[in-house]
Order: sequence, then structure tokens, then C-alpha cells
Amino acid sequence: MASVLTTTVQYQTINNYGAWVKAWQDHRQSGYESILLTGDQESLMAWLLNRDNGDILALHHRVELSTKLGPPPSHFGIEETLMSEHWLARDWSELGWEISDPSSARGKGLFIYPLGPVRADVSESLLYQLIVMGDEIVHVRLKNGFKHRHVREIVRGRTVQEAMPVVSVFTMTSTVHHSLAMALAVENAWGIDIPLAVNVTRTLMAELERTMSHLGDLAALAVSTGLPVPQMQYLHLKEQVLRVNYGLFGHRYMKGAIIPGGVTTALWSEDPRLSEAQGVIEQVLHQSTRIAHDLEHTTSFLDRLHGAGVVPKSTLETVRPVGPVGRATGLEIDVRLIRPYGAYHDLKPKTYTLASADSYARFRIRTQELRQSLTLVLELLTRWDPSLVPRITQHQERVDFLPKQPWGIGLVEAPRGLLAYGVRLNQDTGRIAHLSVATPSQRNWMAYAPAMANGNILQDFPIIDASFSLSVAGLDG
Amino acid sequence: MYYWQWLKNVVRIPHTTGYPSEPDAVVENMLYQDNIRFDPGVNPAPGFAPRSVAIRQVDGGSCNGCESELGLLSGPDYDLTRYGFSFAPSPKHADILVVTGVITQAMIPVIKGVFSQMTQPKRVLALGSCAIDGWVFKDAPGVVGRLDGIVPVTVDVAGCPPTPGDILRGLMAAVESHSVPSQEVHP
Repeated sequence: MASVLTTTVQYQTINNYGAWVKAWQDHRQSGYESILLTGDQESLMAWLLNRDNGDILALHHRVELSTKLGPPPSHFGIEETLMSEHWLARDWSELGWEISDPSSARGKGLFIYPLGPVRADVSESLLYQLIVMGDEIVHVRLKNGFKHRHVREIVRGRTVQEAMPVVSVFTMTSTVHHSLAMALAVENAWGIDIPLAVNVTRTLMAELERTMSHLGDLAALAVSTGLPVPQMQYLHLKEQVLRVNYGLFGHRYMKGAIIPGGVTTALWSEDPRLSEAQGVIEQVLHQSTRIAHDLEHTTSFLDRLHGAGVVPKSTLETVRPVGPVGRATGLEIDVRLIRPYGAYHDLKPKTYTLASADSYARFRIRTQELRQSLTLVLELLTRWDPSLVPRITQHQERVDFLPKQPWGIGLVEAPRGLLAYGVRLNQDTGRIAHLSVATPSQRNWMAYAPAMANGNILQDFPIIDASFSLSVAGLDG
Repeated sequence: MYYWQWLKNVVRIPHTTGYPSEPDAVVENMLYQDNIRFDPGVNPAPGFAPRSVAIRQVDGGSCNGCESELGLLSGPDYDLTRYGFSFAPSPKHADILVVTGVITQAMIPVIKGVFSQMTQPKRVLALGSCAIDGWVFKDAPGVVGRLDGIVPVTVDVAGCPPTPGDILRGLMAAVESHSVPSQEVHP
């Protein structure tokens, strides 16, 4: 049986802060991807992922508060962990890291166009400050924190089982991936193996979720260019997928279906009608391909997308966006290939990349990924046998182990990109001592502002916004 | 830029896809599962025009699940305009305030502000278990955990997230409600 835990975590302790940042920078230049920045019990830890073999390197620095720490990593051009840095600076004032207010632009004729936190028809709370010169967007400041729910703080001290309901509502449209990343992290710390049937089930859920999420994002993108027909078509398909989810796993978003050690079989319907689900997914695949084809031939749509919201080269180097946004800039990071989990060892999904980094590229990547995901779902449905999945819900209390190693790390490719969970468990009680989460939205929001301000006008705003389709819940946490 | 495609489109046959053209059993079940038949046109509450209600949604700290389901209400499967509802971008045009999420301290002034800008008559819907009692975030720092007490709530819609059918039923119940909760609001 293929094991999820074949890759190793290598720890490296560096006592000098300057040398620690330098080592981080050097690894980042030579094939490593920063995934997490954690601060815990007098130590800072930067988690890096090797893009070639999926190995994880944890750069550890013991913080001596008697000596002054240097400036934060973003000062050295490492901006993908900026949100973690802000939280550390706020919660751990002894570090002496300063949170600078997002930079502004001043000048004659500049006008701040405030948008939010209440905006559009249905939206999440975030304040955009668009600094405009006439129609042109010169600079964008994002003010977040309206919906900070403190997920990381409230799970501290809880058992893993108690923490799962909180983690699963981090972002509802990625609930499967959040639960899965948490489960992988905990299983990593426990040092247990997962049966193949469970892995196949988890992968099926993950791909169904990607399908649902991409359909919703494409609907939003279609209507942002004033095309309600494809929006309605995509929304109808999204509803179809949600009903398949409900039919198979008892919840429209499959919340609570994944738990550490396995999957909750209690939610499942006694007789999941697989052939029916397969028929629906085939229809969704057929129709979504046709809608995408039609959009590719709609000039008014293409005109608005091409060249809008190009992520600048300098931002690619400092932020390194992930997921469809990253792949639309030519950065090929797909955890499913680099560090396969679930059933991706033998599924081998294809990754699409484009180099133009504009809204069209993001649209195109999403449509391709949608087709790929639907194909994977069909492939998995033929293989999936719910009766083979071990029923462990009745004995859930048994699925609580003492950790074999203090830290566990879970990496998944969520619909919006690389999602990392780092969890430290108490060695004696097995309770959660520290949880650290890096969501794709946290990272991609950092690329959002420069892309928005890069020679676009106000009329481009809704389109670029929809083409990124980031979650604010994932940013605030 | 795409003139050649304009030419191509002249000879192209347009596609239409399979919208639900007949009443959908799933939606019907969701709407009428406890045998309550809502008919907002028959006896509307004073001041409400039958079947013309604008909704303003405010996110008070949600996981975006409720937003996802609200977004599907405008889709062809539920089509909230059939029941006389629409989304309004401005609070000043809105009749129903729909609040999702755990209600963070930071959002209280925003929610109050939006509610005060809505014109009478107005109703408030607490959408999702988070807005009713904080759900799993009851004890989180900076989280109030309940909408009631900040603005007068007419209807609670429980669920994580509530299904679009539940939301529609809640909206209809809010419009039908003749008993307006007391305007007394705790500071």
C-alpha cells in the first residue's frame, strides 16, 4: 500500500537570526518553496518544500530575546508568509517586528475610492482602498481583519477531535481540503498509515470540491463581464455537483466528512446511487466544456480579460502566488504532483500552466482544471466502493493516538492553491499545543494589489477581482 | 481585436443549455418540507408591496459557506426573483438585512450602520448557526456570537450552511412576519 508519509521532514537549527534568514533565502532560490512560518515557544520555524522530490525542510531558529532580532523576513524579499509575520508581530511583541501600514500613494489629482466592507450583492467583508487618478487605478490598499475568528487560537489546548469542527469551517468552499490538510498533519504526527479505500474516498471528495469551487468562480467571472447566461449555466452545474455531494456524503459541502484517521462513514447514505452520480458528473463535464468553448468565442468576454490584471514580474519573485493564480503566471506548484497524498500517487493529474499572468490566463487555467477534475471524479467513481471503507465512526474515541513526533505537517492542493497545516501536539496528552495554517488566499492576496494597480482602470476591477476569486475567510482566519 | 471572431460568429449556431424547465422536486421538497405553504402575495405585512423585496447581505465574519448558498439563490434552480426577492447593492434600497457569520466586534458598527440606513419597514434575517449563537466560535476572542441584541432579528435560519431552500423559506417568513421584534437594542 502506498504510504502518504514516505517523505521525510528534515530539521535544521540555525542560532544566528541573520544566518537563518540567509539560509531561508538561499533555499528559496534553489528549488525550495516556503510553505509556512510558525512562531512557537521561543522559536521561529520556516517550513520549506522541495519542488523536485517533495521533501520538507524545517529551518529552526531559537529566539534569544536578550539580543535584538533583525527585521522580519518580508524585509528580505520573502513576502509569501507576510500574513503569518503580521500575526507573529502582533501576538509576540518581544520580537520587535513592526507591522507597517500598507503603503499609500500621494499626489495631485489622486483620489481614494473606498469600497467595502459592505459591497456588491453578496460578498465577504474586506475594505478595498483604490487610489485612482481619473479612471486609472494607481495603487490598492487592502484593509482586512473585519472577520477575524481566531481559528488558530481557539483550537489550542483542544483534542484533535474537538478541533476538527472548527477547522472544517475555516473556509466552507474549501472545507474538504482544510479538514484533509489538518487530518494529514495530525496523521503525520501520530505516524499512522491510512487504508487505500480511505485515500480514494478522500481524493474523490477533494476533486468534487475543486469542481464545485471552480464552477462557482467561473460563474462569478462570467457575470463580472456582464454575461448572466454563462453565469446561470455555471451556477446550475454547481448546484448539480452540490447535490451529488449530498447524495454521496450527506452534506452539500461535505463538511465533517474527513476526520484524522479516516473518513466519517456515518454521513453516507445507505445506498449511494453511484451510476446516477456518474451520469450527473458526465453531464456537468459535457456542459461545462461547452460553456467554456462558447466563452472562448465570445469577443466581448475575451476583450475584457486579455491583458487585465497582469501580475508583475517583481511580485512573482517576492510572493510566488500559488494555485490557479500561480499557474497562470507560469509558476508550476501543484502539491498533488510534488508531494502526492490520498490517491494521487497513481492518479497523476495533469497540471496546466500559462505565462501571460492576466485574467484570461486565470480563466483558462480554471476551465482546464475543471475539466481535469471532472475527469478524475469520473475515474474515481468507477473505482470507489463505499463498503470497503473501514467504518470507524462508532469507535471514534479510539482514533486518538499519542504523537510519535511533536510536529505534524499536512500539505494539500486546495481549489485556490497550496494549503499547509502545521500542528504541534502535546507529547503527554495528545492535545493541540500549536496550530499554524497557511491558506492560498493569504498568499495570493499579496499578489492581488500589485496586479490590480498595474495599469488597469476602475472598470477592470470587478473582472480582475473575480478572476483571482480569493476568499476573505481564508485571509482573516 | 477579435474582428475575425465576429465574422465567425455570424455562421455559428448558438447553444442553449438545459435549464430546469419543469418544477424541480429537490427545490419543492426544500421549500415545503414541513407543509408550510408560503404565499407572500396573499396577505403581506403592512407596508410591504407583495413580491418585491430587496435583500442586503452583510458578512459578519463568515466562512463564506452562507455566501456560496446565497449566491446559488440567484441561480436557475432556486431563482429567488420568482418569489419576489432581489439583491440590492445599497442598504438604502433594501427591505431585508441578511447577516451571516459569527459577528465580530469589528463588524458591529458596520451592521448597525447598514441597518440604520435601511428605510422602514425592514426585517432582519440571522443566517446560519454562527449568526444565531456563534456555533463553534462561541468563545473566540473578539467574537460576539449572536446577531440578536445588535439589530432586532425577525427570523433565525439555522444550518451550517443553511440550504438555499431554508434561506428562501426564512426570507418568506421574514416578509410574512407581522410581529416586528422590539426595536430596543442593547448597547
